[in-house]
Amino acid sequence: MVSSILPLLILCGPLAISAMVFLMPARSPSPRWFELAHLASITFVLALSIMILGRVIAGDNLAALGNWLYVDSLGAIFLMLIGVVGFLTGLYSLSYIRHDLKTGALDTTKVKLYYGFFSLFLFTMLLAATSNNIVMMWVAVEATTLGSAFLVGLYSQRSSLEAAWKYVIICTVGVAFGLYGTVLAYANGSDVLGNSQDAILWTTLASHAASLDPMLAKLSFVFVLIGFGTKAGLFPMHAWLPDAHSEAPSPVSALLSGVLLKCALLVIIRYYAITVRAVGPEFPQLLLLILGTLSIVIASMLFFIQQDLKRKLAYSSVEHIGLIALGLGLGGPLGVGAALLHAVNHSLAKALLFCGAGNVLMKYGTRDLGSVKGLMRVAPVSGLLMLAGALTLAGFPPFNIFVSEFLVFVAGLKAGYFWLMLVCALFFTITVGGLIQIVANSVLGKSPENMVKGDVGWAALLPMVILVGLILTMGVAVPQPISRLLQSATAVVLDDHTAVAIVAPWQTPDPAITGPIDGKPKPLALATGTPSHTETNP
Amino acid sequence: MVGFQLINGLAGLLIITSLLVILSGKPGNSARFYALQSFVLVLLFLALAEVSDSHELYLWSASAFVTKVVLVPAIMYRAFAKLSDPKLGSGAVMPPALSVMLAAVVVILCFWVVSGVALPAATAIKPALAVSLAHFFLGLACIVTQRNILKQVFGYCLMENGSHLTLALLAAKAPELVEVGIATDAIFAVAIMTVLGTKIFLTLHTLDARKLTTLKG
Repeated sequence: MVSSILPLLILCGPLAISAMVFLMPARSPSPRWFELAHLASITFVLALSIMILGRVIAGDNLAALGNWLYVDSLGAIFLMLIGVVGFLTGLYSLSYIRHDLKTGALDTTKVKLYYGFFSLFLFTMLLAATSNNIVMMWVAVEATTLGSAFLVGLYSQRSSLEAAWKYVIICTVGVAFGLYGTVLAYANGSDVLGNSQDAILWTTLASHAASLDPMLAKLSFVFVLIGFGTKAGLFPMHAWLPDAHSEAPSPVSALLSGVLLKCALLVIIRYYAITVRAVGPEFPQLLLLILGTLSIVIASMLFFIQQDLKRKLAYSSVEHIGLIALGLGLGGPLGVGAALLHAVNHSLAKALLFCGAGNVLMKYGTRDLGSVKGLMRVAPVSGLLMLAGALTLAGFPPFNIFVSEFLVFVAGLKAGYFWLMLVCALFFTITVGGLIQIVANSVLGKSPENMVKGDVGWAALLPMVILVGLILTMGVAVPQPISRLLQSATAVVLDDHTAVAIVAPWQTPDPAITGPIDGKPKPLALATGTPSHTETNP
Repeated sequence: MVGFQLINGLAGLLIITSLLVILSGKPGNSARFYALQSFVLVLLFLALAEVSDSHELYLWSASAFVTKVVLVPAIMYRAFAKLSDPKLGSGAVMPPALSVMLAAVVVILCFWVVSGVALPAATAIKPALAVSLAHFFLGLACIVTQRNILKQVFGYCLMENGSHLTLALLAAKAPELVEVGIATDAIFAVAIMTVLGTKIFLTLHTLDARKLTTLKG
């Protein structure tokens, strides 16, 4: 653990800018001032997250504020997601919010609120990803709800207020379960360690997990899974998600689906790591397998019947969070590594599609798939990008979702869950059917005759083009530093240093992962321990 | 020994005040009863501080008094007094007698669950621990069995008080910053729910959760 100012610094930037935006007078300056502050915030977060990622890849686990903040390889993955997806959706926000301002959907006061809360939301998610103090972790996740509630209800319409209310009530109540689980974990650690100060740190709890009271450890995990599972959107606690995702401004939907759900998932993974060490893998894996499978089964059917584009995408998020939970439930280095890779891949894919849904809204003024036809003819670049997003989500190669879905299914087959994987594959086929409908009608269909042709501005398209680039990069071949980071994060979760290369099926594993060469040290793996043996995925 | 009896006795009083919050007809009265309940919670913290010789718990008591006895009830009382939906009535979906019976069942179940906890620190305070868990679930029951969205906010407050009490009972020497974090979050949560509740009333002219049905499927 290396002391560093970076984890503290990355928090301070968006928090300070958020405060600055809120203090600005709403009417006197041009909205450009809010945009400039917003740009500074998202750029700062991206730059700092890259710097932190660089340090972690180099083998340092960063700590700050008396170890209350901590970034290891697991945290670095999620920090990077916040940095990249936060930056790209933030960039997309500029043109989207300008459009809303122009059409009168928002006024300058609302624009100010949007940019202020956007930075605040980024801050709360960063806090969740960097917290080593488990109570602060809970506070951060709760704060993400509070920071984003006004973003969900920004349009102040009947439906958006209803969505915001459901979001706040369901998530605060859900996360109250998380608080109870946190309290139980802390009390358990405090009693066993005899040290109230250290027992609050996740690193301490994880390293002493074997001596925790097993009954309390199990109880704590159940509460945590219900609590943070609500926030992550796992079935049956997902009820807030379709409403909030569909009613929020599209860049916020992208941020909610791409990053927020993953932050809650990170907290579950942190407790999963403690529980695996305390009571063995069977108990947490069984719970995750059940919730993951149910999420996939139910969400795929609800996905298919939706007529609202953003609600469809929201149910797809439930399904993919289910797949991540399934990967964690399958366990082992391959299952966990695949789940983490899927978290990354899904974030990029869903950010692209929600931004695409934003373009659809800007062009058609509706999310109703019955009215959205022929996007490719109306706005060719947007249509092409939506097509890429739909193919990604459907799991076609060479897009990234294929790789992580394939790895999860391989992990399932290797773990002996043939029938379970077959059922999941069947339900994913239903999703593919729903996506084909979108492609056939909304993207490639005949456009309405009165539609004005012409694409949305380059400022809205650029972030989406970058997202497609990232999706293809991750899909063609998982970059070696990312693969090593995922392997190291898997080792953090399982305390098992079996080296499994998290790469595409056609990709040659990095020699640095599958075994040392030339006497060189293994990058990152050394940051968490010494590998015991090596293995490659098929 | 007397100290532990006092703690367990005060914990029992919390259940009664919870029922008052839940069964009270008007949200304004619920805010008053919530302040009373939080005062009992503060007394409980003080008793625990004395028994466990915890300096931190004295600080908790002070901050809990400011936040839970004064600030949160004041925010809710001021905001909720202006909002009234006569069509909704009390908003309860079950009669008071049934609510009391449900509460009794919840408490009995929680006593049964807590009896399985083997932590040495919990031995003398198991009744209070069971009450804290029951308190948490009573809050949840308040949300589920209430149609009035303002009363649902109290459900969250009860859940939060239950967690807070569990933390104090099982980890009396937790750093005070932890407590400050939880309390601050609770204030923000209540403030945001209050703002949203008010906006919903002004836009939709109802406080009935069953009328929030624009979004389906």
